[in-house]
Amino acid sequence: MSGNFRYPEIMPPGVALLDYDNDGDLDVFVVQGRMLGKTAIERAIAPPRDVSSLRGRLFRNDLQVDTDGRRALRFTDVTGPSGIDARGYGMGAAAGDFDNDGCVDLYVTSLGANQLFRNNCNGTFTDVTKASRTESPGWSVSAAFVDVDRDGWLDLFVGHYLNYSVEANIRCFGLAGGPDYCPPHVYTPQPSVLYRNNRDGTFTNITAAAGMAAEFGPALGVSTADFNGDGWIDIYVANDGQPNQLWINQRDGTFRNTALLAGAALGAAGEAKSSMGVDAGDFDNDGDEDLFITELTGQGVDLYVNNGSGVFEEQSARAGLRQPTLPFTGFGAGWLDVDNDGLLDLFTVNGAVTQNVETTRRDPFPLQQRKQLFRNAGGGRFEEATDRGGAVLQAAEVSRGAAFGDIDNDGDVDVVVGNASGPLRLLINDVGQARHWVGVRLVGANTARDMIGARVAVVRADGSTVWRRARSDGSYGSANDPRVLAGLGGSTAPPTIRVQWPDGRTEEWRGIGIDRYTTLKEGTAK
Amino acid sequence: MLAAFLLAIAGCQAPPSPREPLRQVLLPDLSRATDRVQAQLKKQYAALDEKRQHPGTSPAELAAAFGEMGKLFMAAEYRDAAEASLSNAQTLAPSDARWPYYLGHLHKARGDAVKSAAAFERARALQPDDPATLIWLANTYLDQSRSGDAERLFTQALSRDPRSIAAAVGLGRAALARSDYARAVQHLEQALALDPRAAAIHYPLALAYRGLGEMDKADAHMRQRAPGEIQPPDPLMLELEGVLESPIAYEVRGAKALDERDWKGAAVSFRRGIELAPAEASLHHKLGTALYLDGDARGAAAEFAEALRLSPHFAKAHYSLGIMLGSAGRLKDAVDHLSAAVRDDPAYVEARLRLADVLRASGQSAAALPHYEQAANIDPRLADAAFGYALALVDLGRYQPARDRLSEGIRIYPGNLAFRHALVRLLAAAPDDRVRDGHEALRLLQELTANEPRRYDVDEMMAMTLAELGRFEEAAKSQRDAIAGAERSGRPDVAKRMSDNLVRYERRQPCRTPWRGDDGPIGG
Repeated sequence: MSGNFRYPEIMPPGVALLDYDNDGDLDVFVVQGRMLGKTAIERAIAPPRDVSSLRGRLFRNDLQVDTDGRRALRFTDVTGPSGIDARGYGMGAAAGDFDNDGCVDLYVTSLGANQLFRNNCNGTFTDVTKASRTESPGWSVSAAFVDVDRDGWLDLFVGHYLNYSVEANIRCFGLAGGPDYCPPHVYTPQPSVLYRNNRDGTFTNITAAAGMAAEFGPALGVSTADFNGDGWIDIYVANDGQPNQLWINQRDGTFRNTALLAGAALGAAGEAKSSMGVDAGDFDNDGDEDLFITELTGQGVDLYVNNGSGVFEEQSARAGLRQPTLPFTGFGAGWLDVDNDGLLDLFTVNGAVTQNVETTRRDPFPLQQRKQLFRNAGGGRFEEATDRGGAVLQAAEVSRGAAFGDIDNDGDVDVVVGNASGPLRLLINDVGQARHWVGVRLVGANTARDMIGARVAVVRADGSTVWRRARSDGSYGSANDPRVLAGLGGSTAPPTIRVQWPDGRTEEWRGIGIDRYTTLKEGTAK
Repeated sequence: MLAAFLLAIAGCQAPPSPREPLRQVLLPDLSRATDRVQAQLKKQYAALDEKRQHPGTSPAELAAAFGEMGKLFMAAEYRDAAEASLSNAQTLAPSDARWPYYLGHLHKARGDAVKSAAAFERARALQPDDPATLIWLANTYLDQSRSGDAERLFTQALSRDPRSIAAAVGLGRAALARSDYARAVQHLEQALALDPRAAAIHYPLALAYRGLGEMDKADAHMRQRAPGEIQPPDPLMLELEGVLESPIAYEVRGAKALDERDWKGAAVSFRRGIELAPAEASLHHKLGTALYLDGDARGAAAEFAEALRLSPHFAKAHYSLGIMLGSAGRLKDAVDHLSAAVRDDPAYVEARLRLADVLRASGQSAAALPHYEQAANIDPRLADAAFGYALALVDLGRYQPARDRLSEGIRIYPGNLAFRHALVRLLAAAPDDRVRDGHEALRLLQELTANEPRRYDVDEMMAMTLAELGRFEEAAKSQRDAIAGAERSGRPDVAKRMSDNLVRYERRQPCRTPWRGDDGPIGG
């Protein structure tokens, strides 16, 4: 943070949850920035205690679970031994096993060249950016590993943001004349990139061939899911100040952007909003993927409710989400069943992007806002539950990335929050484990990798079904727990699990144990 | 303490009425404001202070002083101080609708829909038929999912002003929020009829038709949508936007005037900004733009030059000068400035594209190629970059890669017919035997003629193609049709140039120049 109001300074950091050492618990990776321009690091607004810490960092989760179920969380910084050397101006991260060796790999997005780190399955990583041809230089924040062609290998979508360089930095001002961070429209957007996995450690840029080259905006959020229910994974891109894109997979290697007519490109009044974070989830348990998007102060959020065929209606006001979110600028966001009642709730992390001129002297980085938690009350309605979420949610910070996953393996979803010029926050959920749950890890038939994109129907004892999907993408510049966790409420009866694999085939398991995680391997259902 | 003192003062002038105590209003930390804004705020504050301290100040006078202070704070984005000032104005002059009205906008800017609605409600109670109040209040109700309440207010606004687009659109949005698509269509069509240029209406209208299952209409309206916001005329906010004297405030006003195509008004605002910040290069650049659009090319050039004197690496100023010089035929100078623009901002895609165009126009097609390529990489949506690259290849006699690029352009930009036209010409008349393919040219032409009106240039392409296929009589007939069409279109110069090919076809010779002289690639 130079104090020179350079735009990229207010965008990171994203965070990633990934089990890099396959020990069954989630480790944490966070990107780091550095100084932009010629200002010495010692003159930063929030100078680091240790300059050498300015590189992406990997923390190993050394979770200990006692025989009585008590858990002790401890993390060890393993950046050095891991071989991850990410010293660019980090923005975000994506996680996925691109080489099908059963060990999750890491893609780091940046202002500048991105980096792909291949997991060597021995606790170390190798930078394979050049060999894999995934550098994708420019400025990108969110990326997603996604198998777009159903070949069993994860492809890679990289959302690009703006054309920016320190040399061509544009100065912007508040109305009182003081310097401030610029809005995105003063820069031109960069085209996003879709890479096809060549199954040999390399990727090919197929953006044009896929029909995605001629439409793009300043992308900040990416979520992949089967939005139109045809069994093929689609890609949703949240753009900052320009219409969002819904790339529907045409099943022939190409995509078609249907966002406008699908009703998922703009706000209810037809305005292009400053979309930041995005996540897809079935909040109304009707079997399709709905979209939640965080936006700028005064814009609220968008809740695009899917009718099952990839056609949406924006219902943030009707759902009770618009009014309480209007004062906030949201970034990381996710659907999570906080209380394991079987209904997906919402969590957003917030932080402004322009100065509050009245607080400038007291605080050189006055962009702090608190976080928000919304409980799904059923019937398409949400109620704000931030006050019940504990003091940690009230703490005002400049939050950006948020990664969602069960970090202490106790059966509920925790959150890691990345803060700009501030510490990481690990928010442990102490509510969800009070109810019953079922957790599954979905792995492939020929590889022990997480089958990102698989859909799961959890049929509960009362016959009701909740739908979840294995996903790592979503939120803002972050990577999430790929395991599927579904709340069962008070039910102790083992549910039936029906899995639709990314290649379209389905399998069903009965009598899956509750209150624990079970690995389901493709092709092994009886 | 201060509030109590003020109440005491007020109490000397009029019988005390039960009202809220006044809030403390202090001058906030102004260190982030420009000197001029600081001076403006301090002057207004001093005026307020004088009123506060003068025992003869009436509540109405004090309310006005607080109100004006609040407006200035609000314009400068000192929102806490603005809220306190406007609240005091409202307390002191409870019958003046301006103060709750401004408070409504202030809370709206902060995203506080509940307080915003409450303030607009107070304003409405004082002036029940003010259209702006009704519409902004209704919008806050939409934010709160109170579509019924919103609908009543929009209806009232429309009854006061049957030509209110904002009210009609609001009714449409309220109906959409209730999934009442038929009523939404009715109201939004009404709004569109009031102002067919209000392209922002097309989006909600498309969604309304989608809800009715009328997908053709939905699609047609979606194609016509454009960014924009439908707002009611708002004299009070217009007044507020004009109170602040900062360079950025004048820049914002100037930019708004540019959006409204008010070139003279824009120039006035930018000049006022320059008076406050004479060394701000971007203001000179914007003034130059306004002057150019108003027809004052000399004045524009002077402002662009001044911007560059102040900021020699200001890419936009180089770009603007480059465009002006290119239009005036000074291609070398244009190349110099456009080159400087891309040197200073390598991602400046418009500058790179225009540089490539000017290089091509000045016979430097080889030098243009990398710029077209980079422009296409920076923004693949720019069909002009891909097209320019292909035509530069034609200039250089590299017909095969040109053909491939044009074919790729047809695939990537299916709606852009320029690629098809150029490819037909190349397939029909390229000097390179390996490139020509009369049958493919005919197939493309048949697709073209099925989808677009007959024009003389299409007739000319048909003639070229038929000649390539050895069908010279038909080619000559098409060429005659093309010549007649050009003359009918008022282009006798084009008709004259086309007569050469007519002679060629009459002699049973094919065409080997895909473009006519000035109309296309220079090497063709």
